[in-house]
Amino acid sequence: MLFDLNAWIGSWPFRSMWDNTAPAMLERMDRHGINWAAVSSLEAIFHRNGQPANEKLAEDVAPYSRRLFPLATINPSYVKWEDDLKYCHEKLNMKGVRLVPQYQGWELKSAMAVKAVQACTERGLLICIPHRLEDPRQAHPIDPGRTVEYDDVVYLLRAVPAAKIVLQNIRVTPAINALLQPDLIDKEWYVDLALTEVHFNQATLSFLDKVGGKHLVFGTHSPHSYAGSALVKLELLPVAGDEKADVCYRHAARLLNVNLMETE
Amino acid sequence: MVDGRIDVKAGLLEPKIDVHAHVLPGEEGLRQSDRLVAVADKLGITELWCSAPIAGGRMASPEEIRRNNDGVIAAMRRHPRRIRGLCFVIPGYYTEAIAEVERCLAAGMIGIKLYNQYKIHDPAVWPIIKLAAERRIPVLEHCAHLTGKTLAEQPLTSDGADMARISERFPDAILINAHIGGGGDLEWSLRALRDASPNLYVDVSGSNLEDGQIEMAVAELGASRVLFATDSTMEGCVGKVIGARLSRKEKEMIFRLNAADILAKQGLQPFYQTQAAGTINGEASADAV
Repeated sequence: MLFDLNAWIGSWPFRSMWDNTAPAMLERMDRHGINWAAVSSLEAIFHRNGQPANEKLAEDVAPYSRRLFPLATINPSYVKWEDDLKYCHEKLNMKGVRLVPQYQGWELKSAMAVKAVQACTERGLLICIPHRLEDPRQAHPIDPGRTVEYDDVVYLLRAVPAAKIVLQNIRVTPAINALLQPDLIDKEWYVDLALTEVHFNQATLSFLDKVGGKHLVFGTHSPHSYAGSALVKLELLPVAGDEKADVCYRHAARLLNVNLMETE
Repeated sequence: MVDGRIDVKAGLLEPKIDVHAHVLPGEEGLRQSDRLVAVADKLGITELWCSAPIAGGRMASPEEIRRNNDGVIAAMRRHPRRIRGLCFVIPGYYTEAIAEVERCLAAGMIGIKLYNQYKIHDPAVWPIIKLAAERRIPVLEHCAHLTGKTLAEQPLTSDGADMARISERFPDAILINAHIGGGGDLEWSLRALRDASPNLYVDVSGSNLEDGQIEMAVAELGASRVLFATDSTMEGCVGKVIGARLSRKEKEMIFRLNAADILAKQGLQPFYQTQAAGTINGEASADAV
């Protein structure tokens, strides 16, 4: 069983994409043997007022509520964002959020970000933060090409130790050791398999050797990226048994407070 | 199969020729080549075409270039049924570059690797391309249509339009536009290549795993001109091809048949045709040290 914690629907401004509607995402998941996915709206990143896009996302995935779990995109630099968070959580039953500061002109190392992470954490919501959405080496002239790094997550976890954070699309490098320090190693932080390498990357092997699948989740970055790449890494992942099941779906279900038995 | 269920296990068992891999010079390079072959085993990669280029456009000395190529030759000798060599040269050293290509071919290398010391269509590069065309060996050119800061850092990186231009001058040369997923606007480069010589190929390597890139390459150039490669993104690139919406036959062409055709122009057979069964996918390779 597989739970993809890193999927999107909607239009990406810089290129055309396939499988970016809810029904097409379902077909894509079936093609790849993926049971469930947490999805967020690409439009919600770029619209000044992203809340209508969050609401459209909830509407789009509602017919598939046993398999697609919407994540709200929250922009803490926009007025009354707290209302959006409350509405998405309480009225739309969203289980987590995406933070995408790269395209919204704010920083994770800021009081504003800490306030947003604190608010999400008080609600028990998972916080997903992509390192990047697209390779900055091909950035469109209006794409800032910014990235989120490990030290941003270190900063947030030290400010809000109870936060549940998934850093997505990041390559595992020795910089991940900043998250393995004694005060952070048992916190609820995760990285995914979407864009890192496993066996030909000593940093990943060393990371897995130290903590196994404890801080790893399955994510594909669909439909931006080929889901097949994440599946190959999962197939060859040097963890087994319960730990592999954690990576495949159990971490995701727990982080989102989803009872998978109810989805069957 | 198109629109069929993705079968990762079966995809891993498909023999694959990686036309774009690297090794380092020296002892560390040999250890790295062992790791490379070990990971290739897991992925069904039966052979790797390796080079040791000077990256970043730096104008290294001929001595340093020879040391790097010696590292490739050492890796070839350590893994004679898994690693083939591509000879790196800086074409501006005209006499030394020609002599180095001849030395490397005599040592068993099967092609040439160029980086971004020169644009591919610079007249300084022509003698190398001409030699490659005469010998029917491929030239793998570091390519990307870079934008912004990255372009400013490496302005002599060739893109699809540069490759199309040189293929017009040398239509018989076997040219490989490296790593469509290696950064840069891959859609720009693939469009630029659509009218290029049929002897011009693209390789699918690179850390950019953007969905649809393999299908676009096939749509623009035809499946017979798309080559499997990793450039160190080994699992990611195997997954790109496994996950692409292409027929089984098209994937076979990309994974191995097109590269086998390139080898055949030199009278060579791919290793997967001569390899004993059970030497890939987790089993120790025949020449593992």
